[in-house]
Parts: sequence; C-alpha cells; structure tokens
Amino acid sequence: MAGGNSDIKFIKKGKRLDGRKPDELRKVRIEVGVLNRADGSCYLEWGNNKVYAGVFGPIECHPRHKQQQDRAIVQARYTMAPFSVNDRKRPGYDRRSSEISYIISQALERVVMVEQFPRAAIRVDMQVVEAHAGTRCAALTAASVALADAGIPMRDIIPSCAAGKVSDTVVLDLNKEEDNYGQADLPLAIVPSTGEVVLLQLDGHLTPDEFEQAFDMAYKGCMDIYEIQRAALADRYGGSA
Amino acid sequence: MNPSSSKQASGRSVLLPGDKLEADQKAGSGTFRRDGESHAAVLGFPSESSGYVNVHPLAGRYSPRVGDKVIAICVETGPSLWRMDIGAFQNSMLHHSETDWKVDFGDTASFIGIGDAALAEVYMVDGSGSHQVTLKKDDCRKLYAGTIARISPPRVSRVIGKQGTMITLIREKTGCRIQVGQNGFVWIDGEPEQIARAQKAVETISREATSRGLTEKIEKLLE
Repeated sequence: MAGGNSDIKFIKKGKRLDGRKPDELRKVRIEVGVLNRADGSCYLEWGNNKVYAGVFGPIECHPRHKQQQDRAIVQARYTMAPFSVNDRKRPGYDRRSSEISYIISQALERVVMVEQFPRAAIRVDMQVVEAHAGTRCAALTAASVALADAGIPMRDIIPSCAAGKVSDTVVLDLNKEEDNYGQADLPLAIVPSTGEVVLLQLDGHLTPDEFEQAFDMAYKGCMDIYEIQRAALADRYGGSA
Repeated sequence: MNPSSSKQASGRSVLLPGDKLEADQKAGSGTFRRDGESHAAVLGFPSESSGYVNVHPLAGRYSPRVGDKVIAICVETGPSLWRMDIGAFQNSMLHHSETDWKVDFGDTASFIGIGDAALAEVYMVDGSGSHQVTLKKDDCRKLYAGTIARISPPRVSRVIGKQGTMITLIREKTGCRIQVGQNGFVWIDGEPEQIARAQKAVETISREATSRGLTEKIEKLLE
C-alpha cells in the first residue's frame, strides 16, 4: 500500500534498489498467440510479473440482460492465481479484482469498435500467474495485445504503465518493494494516437508538481510499452512495425 | 508510425490497429477515419480495389456476407424457425419458409434438432449485424453423420487451395466427403480413420497457412 511512511532508502547514488534509474522501465517481454483455444492471446512478462490474457469473441452476450442493443460490451475479467503472491491468495473473485476488471473493461471499450457488434460480448480474461506490483498495467497491456491478435477492430492498441513516488523522488514503474513501502502509485493507460487517457488512478499523495512530473513520466513509459506491443505483434505476423 | 519495410517475402507489411493508411486512398473495409485520415482498424494486410483500401484481417471470427456457403449448427429451435450457429458474433436465423420441407407450426425440431448441421447459404445481412441463412440454394441441405472441424475463417481459402487443389487432394487421399464453409466450419464424412486423417490435414493447413511448401507437406502427411 503506497502512501505510508517508511525509513527505507529507496534510492542510493541515483540508483533504485533493483539497480534501475528513476525513469527506467523493468524488462518487458510480450509473446503473442500463446493459447490455442482462445481467439487471441498474449503472454507478458514485466519484471517479475507474469500475465496471460485470452480473448473470446465477439460472441452472443450472456446473460441476455447485459446485452446492449446498439453495441457490444467488453467483459474483462482479471484474476490472480493463488500462487501469484507470497501469502497464498484465496482463489476467486474479490473486491480488488472486480474493481480492476471494471476499469480495464472501461479502458478497452474506448478503443474497441463496439458499435460494429450490437448485442455481442467480447470476453477478455487475464490471469496473473506471478505478481510483483503493477499487475493492472501489465494485465491491460496484455489484454490489448490479445484483442489485436483476435482480429477485433480497434482504434488503437492501449499501453499502460505506472509512475510513483519513493523517498521523495518521482520514479517510473514501481516494483514490489517500492509499491508496498513507497509514497504514491499512479497507474496510467493511454490511447497513443490521440493522447486520450483511458485509465488513471492515484494511491498515496503527490503535490501538483510531482503529479505533473509523474504523469509525464508514466506517459513516456506508456509510449515505450506501445513500441514493445507493436514489435511483438509484428513479430508474430511476420511484418515489421 | 507506418511500417516501411517488411520481412515478408511478398513485400507487404502487416498493419496494426490504428496504423495510418496512405493519404490519397479511400477507406474501405477494416479501416476507420479520424480527423480526415484513414487508419487500419484490424491487424492485417492492406489491399487496393477500385480506389478503396481494404485491410484484410489475419484473425478473427467470421463476418457473414451474402452468398457465402456456410456450415450451420442448430443451437435453438423456435415454433417456425431455427437459430443456427455459423461462428459469427450473432446466431443466424433459418426460417422454415427457407427450406424445402413442409414444416407445421411448432414442428421445427423434427426436421433439424439442436446440434444438427446443415450446409446453408447466407442470404440476408442487415445493418445491425443480424443475418439469415437459407437452404433453398444449390447444394444446400441438412448434413447427416460426419464430423465438423473448426478452423480460423481467414484460413479457409488456404484449405480450399487454388482452384480447389488442396481440398481435392484431401478428398482423393482420404476418400472422405468434405464441405468447407466460408465460416471456417469443415464438415467431413467417411470412414472413421479417414475422417481423423482428413481432420488432421485440415487443421494442419489452418495452423501453418503462412508456411511455404504446404501442399507437399500435406501430401506427405496423407501418404
């Protein structure tokens, strides 16, 4: 939980605990089309985070009362495996995962051309296999790649990345220690072609100046992630992006 | 942002959702317009026809087009119609008047039950995406026995092959009766072991549609 006070020194000689510079991302690796049963899929490693995303659809929306007469709905579902965290997580849906599922659905509905599929549902399932802070960003990043892999019409691919504050310094892409004992966490997701913000949350405290700085840093991080997403998709389909 | 070079032998480069298209071309299927510019909406390869640029998706579910022959599977029966799964985002309707049978009101299930398949033709697609199929066209009929393999719809043309060479090859080597629906459902009927071989061949083609020397590979597989 960010926003607490801690006497841990997160930055020594300009380097963070894991050796990164303040504005450096963790290593991100994306693999496309890893699941045979899903229409589109993606496996993503982001530092120590490991996430699978699978897309089914567009399909008939069930239950029927959730159908929208003029458009499709995006049913995103974020789940964490019991073995994804240090203390075994009680399996199944909880408050946290339903919140994250909801914000991811909202973000994806901004880019998916839902108006082309009235009364349909597009199911996006994300499974966090290993969690090390920043899983909502990782899950959303993986989900939008899986959607593109499923051949679903979209206006753009959404990248997502967080920034935050540790030891009074604004840093990019918090790791687990920084997230747990740091001062703030600011996950962001954007539509790169228009600069629209489709996800923005803040946990902890930032001054207006720090917020500006963190936002810009996360935005730049998103653009870097976007390039990795594009390269992964192009690699899978034998082109170059 | 536009891809400039490509690793593909054909020289075409893959477009990703949101990629900008050439400025002087009109936006066709698989594209959208924003701020006066055309962009690709799906992951696929662009092609030009009569001044329009279309982006052909490399993946995705079947989107029905009038005149397509499809394999339809019944999922629901109503008093005077059947609802058929053709792999699209909505189930398709088959009205009793679109068959050659005399169906009494409420007696649809005795002609096509849930799970039964038919070779049908899409004869209506409306703006909201609903569609209907008919059995009153050439070759259209209820399919008895056999099994149905499912492949990705963009790979259907590869399974059929140029002038049907690939599908003829599989038919000859296995002695099976095969119908390939444009929706990616493939109906196969014959001797049980031969069905399994034909199904394996079809699935291999779908999986390796982009690789070279596929015909030789399938010939070898069916030896």
